[in-house]
Amino acid sequence: MNRNIRRLGVALMLCYVALFVKLNWIQVIDADDLANNPLNTAPIRQDFNRARGAITSGDGVLLAESIPNPDVDSEFDRLRVYPEGELFGHVTGYFSFQFGASGLEREYSEELTGQTFGQQVRGFADLFVANENVGNMTVSVRQDLQQIARDQLGEREGSVVAIDPRTGEILSFWSYPTFDPNALSGTDIEATEQAWALYNLAPGTPLRAHQYQDRYFPGSTFKVVTGSVGLETGTVTNDEPSYPFVSGYTAPQTDLVISNFGGRVCGGTLPEILAVSCNSSFAQMGTETIGGELMVQGSESWGFNRDVPIDMPAPAQSFFPPDVVSNPPKLAQSSIGQSDVQATPLQMAMVAGAVANGGTMMRPHLMTEIRNRQGSLVDEADPEPWLTPLSPTNAETMRVDMIGVVEDGTATALRIPGFEVGGKTGTAQLGTDPPRSHTWIIGFAGPPGQPATVAVAVVVLDQDGGSEATGGRVAGPIARAVLEAALARP
Amino acid sequence: MTNRRNTELGLMLLAVIITAGAYVLASLGAEARIPANVVPFLVIVLGLLLGAHVALRRLAPDADPILLPVAAVLNGLGYVLIAGLPPMPNMPSGEELARQQALWTAIGVGAFIATLVVVKRPRDLERYRYTFALVGIGLLLLPLIPGIGREINGSRIWVGLGPVNFQPGEVAKVVLALFFAAYLADQRELIATSVWKLGPLRLPDPKYLGPVVIAWLVTLVVMVYQKDLGSSLMFFALFVVMLWVATDRPSFLVLGGGLFAAGAWFAWSAFSHVRQRVDIWLDPWQDPSDSGYQIIQGLFAMGFGGLAGTGLGLGSSVRIPASESDYIFAVVVEQLGLLGGTVVIVAFLLMVGAGLRIASLAEHAFDKLLATGLTLLLGVQAFLIIGGVTRLLPLTGVTLPFMSYGGSSLVVNYVLLALLLRISDRRRATVPSVDADTGAMPAVGGGHG
Repeated sequence: MNRNIRRLGVALMLCYVALFVKLNWIQVIDADDLANNPLNTAPIRQDFNRARGAITSGDGVLLAESIPNPDVDSEFDRLRVYPEGELFGHVTGYFSFQFGASGLEREYSEELTGQTFGQQVRGFADLFVANENVGNMTVSVRQDLQQIARDQLGEREGSVVAIDPRTGEILSFWSYPTFDPNALSGTDIEATEQAWALYNLAPGTPLRAHQYQDRYFPGSTFKVVTGSVGLETGTVTNDEPSYPFVSGYTAPQTDLVISNFGGRVCGGTLPEILAVSCNSSFAQMGTETIGGELMVQGSESWGFNRDVPIDMPAPAQSFFPPDVVSNPPKLAQSSIGQSDVQATPLQMAMVAGAVANGGTMMRPHLMTEIRNRQGSLVDEADPEPWLTPLSPTNAETMRVDMIGVVEDGTATALRIPGFEVGGKTGTAQLGTDPPRSHTWIIGFAGPPGQPATVAVAVVVLDQDGGSEATGGRVAGPIARAVLEAALARP
Repeated sequence: MTNRRNTELGLMLLAVIITAGAYVLASLGAEARIPANVVPFLVIVLGLLLGAHVALRRLAPDADPILLPVAAVLNGLGYVLIAGLPPMPNMPSGEELARQQALWTAIGVGAFIATLVVVKRPRDLERYRYTFALVGIGLLLLPLIPGIGREINGSRIWVGLGPVNFQPGEVAKVVLALFFAAYLADQRELIATSVWKLGPLRLPDPKYLGPVVIAWLVTLVVMVYQKDLGSSLMFFALFVVMLWVATDRPSFLVLGGGLFAAGAWFAWSAFSHVRQRVDIWLDPWQDPSDSGYQIIQGLFAMGFGGLAGTGLGLGSSVRIPASESDYIFAVVVEQLGLLGGTVVIVAFLLMVGAGLRIASLAEHAFDKLLATGLTLLLGVQAFLIIGGVTRLLPLTGVTLPFMSYGGSSLVVNYVLLALLLRISDRRRATVPSVDADTGAMPAVGGGHG
């Protein structure tokens, strides 16, 4: 019998070797396929169940935090809540089990969950107390400015971006329509799926952060760039050239006239044409005074056709068409912010900010600092220059010219008594009849004789009217309210 | 020979440390779901396991030192994993299961000690062979009786008496192993020597084939009416292998294999639930959200564990159906990785090795056959369910001995363990057992033919 017992032993051992081989097969060879299988929610679940730090606004308001899931039967241990809801939807983004994450939740996911190498090393002592070295983040966006932007814009489609031109910190980051991250980040899978479907069907793509992920014709606000390129290339000064007083400009190789609004006659030097937003003069400046090559290089020095180094996912590039070099009619149109020129609201806020900041465009960012639970610093944002499109002298020239636009030009809506305010309006006509346009205003403000502390860009989409005054009338009050509030509590 | 017991004590302490350490690690993690209030139950479980060792010191001082510590590690580790299962609607929480499992462990260890007390010599059991046969078949057919039989999860293997549900099939395993061992120890010479030539096959006389056929029919009944594939396969393997070991006639293996193949083919073509099991095994991705759900989630969980696992109490929050019982192995691999899964496989291999060593060293035919049968039950059951979970074999719903939650399984396996230990406990002044003293495993089989 013993011989057979031995054989039985060998047979059973072979069975177990087969188990061992199959187990290795699953754990090693199939592991990647299993992990990447769309049906497999384990990796997402792991991320979703991880402890996540809080996000707080620049003025100390809680924007996002994780709380124990009140639904104890749920498969999720935590619930991510956004006390400010819609107001900061595009800032925090959502953090969803099915749809991943957006906004800061996506950009800083590793820091929030304490997964970065630095945090892991720091938390090494807590090796056996897993996942507790989360990062709590403070952002520069202020709840009060965000609220004012929201109230002022109301239910019109558009964006408001305010930045501190000295540091690149974003102070207000609002666009409408937006979404409530609570609706997408819940643990009730059916409810979040419904919300997702609704947001995707809703007009105006509420899930997109229009203020930096969408671009629009900048219209006359782009004349600040054109004029600045003129100054920086030495082809334009405040006194020279003086453009002819005409009602329209016809570029070489075309009969199409770029006319001034309502066929008005205008012309003169840079401060004069900027104040009245003279189409004919700026079209001529771009086409003849500066020229295609320098206009392309110049606008690229202002951040067009470049990736913006903002600490948010998937920023859109602003665009200045490079093919204008061999296409004077298009160049003429582009010089006044029409044709194919497109800019994000963020980009135009940075344009105003660079003028106010001595010609240096700071890297835009939202995160100011990340601290661990013990309160020690994990990461902080230092002000860094991104581009320097203007020399300090030329920046000062353009700054004074833009202040002139507010004092005695199209942007009088921005006037704030006791402060130095500069600005530029824009009305990007959409070529419809009756005329409709994207109305813009960009500007900066600060105490007299001191560097500006805030720069702003406002765009309100698809408004009635097409006059140069429209930008100032529609977007002006919104920008002024934001500037005032920012100045009141620097 | 208390050397063996001292070896065992060392191993037991190791098992207790591993379990307690696993529990501490699992509850330290901030993410872990282990409830703090199962601590007293954990202490009770560990106390019980040490109590089993103390009982062995008194009742079976020369018994094998390997089996109990290995069972203790499996029992303890399974306990920690069950306590840490994620919550799931309409299912008892890990905490409740842990409390129940502590009670079952107590009953199991009680049955273990009682078996050692009652069974002084295994051969005393030989006389009750036909009682065992009747009781065994009765137990197997019990769930088919209307009124007390209950169908749970599609298998009619439960008997409900008041509030308590139990699986008589689990008890029948051991009872039938006792009957087979007694019957074969008595008849094996006759069966082996009476030859009936059929072509190249040297078959035994048909009159001795009766029991084989009866066993085969009983397994078919179990498979068809109770839809319990795993158990029927185990019974059949048990009988055929014991017959072969007892008579040394390979023709029994051939015949058994043939009958098994015929039965399997018949079952596959005639019964949809058998066909469905095979289809899921071949391609679980056909219906990932329903019939293939358990298999696929199990694979995902195991793959997620990788080499070293997610860590105890940190598994994904998906609760695989039956993850506290049939699917506990997937939980092991998820949380302890390839390493943990390998440890469990090796643990069962150790038990199989120890059991067969006991069989080959036993001097009486009955003891030999009983030890072989009991070891085979343990080894085949673990192989079936681990193979099912890893998709090496079609999934047959049986529990993983000592690890799975479940009263019937745990209590019966402790009785089985006690019987094996009782067989191994004999005075062998003539045969030194150096290897046993060091705790090292000798090669399977001692060569005392």
